[in-house]
Amino acid sequence: MNLFSLMARHGYALTFGLLLAEAIGLPFPAAIALVAAGAAVAAHALWGPYVLFAAITGLLLGDTVQFWLGRYMGWLLLGFLCRVSINPETCILRSAESFYKRGKTTLVIAKFIPGVNTMAAPLAGSMKMRFWQFLRLDFAGALVYATTYLLVGYLSRDFLAAILRGFHAAGLAMEVVVVAALAAYTIYRIVQYSKHKVYRVVPRVQVQELAARLASEEADRVLIVDVRSHGYYDSGGERIKGSIRIEPNNLEEEIKNLPKDKDIYLYCT
Amino acid sequence: MAHLLREKGFNTFVIVGGLTAWRKAGEPVESVPQNDLVKLPTFN
Repeated sequence: MNLFSLMARHGYALTFGLLLAEAIGLPFPAAIALVAAGAAVAAHALWGPYVLFAAITGLLLGDTVQFWLGRYMGWLLLGFLCRVSINPETCILRSAESFYKRGKTTLVIAKFIPGVNTMAAPLAGSMKMRFWQFLRLDFAGALVYATTYLLVGYLSRDFLAAILRGFHAAGLAMEVVVVAALAAYTIYRIVQYSKHKVYRVVPRVQVQELAARLASEEADRVLIVDVRSHGYYDSGGERIKGSIRIEPNNLEEEIKNLPKDKDIYLYCT
Repeated sequence: MAHLLREKGFNTFVIVGGLTAWRKAGEPVESVPQNDLVKLPTFN
C-alpha cells in the first residue's frame, strides 16, 4: 500500500501524526504527506479544511513542545539538535545569529528551509521570544507551509497518479534504481569514513597522562585549549583549570595568538 | 580543528573524553571567566 492510498484511508490522522513528528525533529516526510493529502483532497477522499486543520494542529503542537524545551533546556537541546549538523561546534551560534538578523519573521519561512526548520522553534524559546508572539508567527508559518504543499498535491493530482502508475509498471527498473541509490549511499558512507580516518593522525592522550605531565617540570610546555562553543553560553559553566579558549567561529584569527613552542592539548565536552 | 592546527605547524593533541573524562578523573576545573561567556542574543 503506498502513501497515497494510505492517505485516502487514514488521511487526517496520518497528516496530523507525520507533521507532529516532523515538528518535533523526527525525519519524517511531512511535505510528501501533505502533497499526498492534497491529491486525496482533489480525489474527494478527504475534505480540505479538515486536512489543513490536522496539519496546522500537528505543526503547532510539535513546535510548541520544541519552544518550551528550548526555553527550559537551552543549550542542552540546541547542542543535541546541532549534533546532526556538519559542524556541531559552530552550529548553535551561527543559527542563533542568523535567526536574530533575519528577525522574528524567520518563523514564517523556516519550515521551508532544512535545518532552520528544526532549530527555529527551540531557538525562539531559548532567545526569550514571547510565547504568544511565537504562536502567532508560527501559525502563519504553518499555514503557509501546509497550504503550499496541499495545493501542490491538489493541482498535480493527475501528474502524481501518472507517476505512481509508472512506478508500478516499471517494477524492475525501480528495483535497479533502489539498488543504485543504496550503492551510492554506501560509497558516500565509505568516503565519510575515510575522511574521519584522517583525524586519527592527531595523537590522543589520556587524562592521566596529561595530568602527570602538568605535575612535572614540563608543565610550562603545556597549553590546554578549550574548543567548545556552546559550553560557554550558560553561566556557571566550567573548564579545565588553567585552560584557555579558542572560539571555533573565529579560528583563523585565534591561531595567530597560539604559541608554537608549546604542546597544545585540545578538549571539548 | 586538531588536524587543522597540526597542518599549521602546531604540536597538537586531543584529550580523550574531553572535559567529562577530566572531571571524572578528579582533576581540577574552574569557572568560566565572565569575559569568556558568550551570550546568546535575545528578543526581549
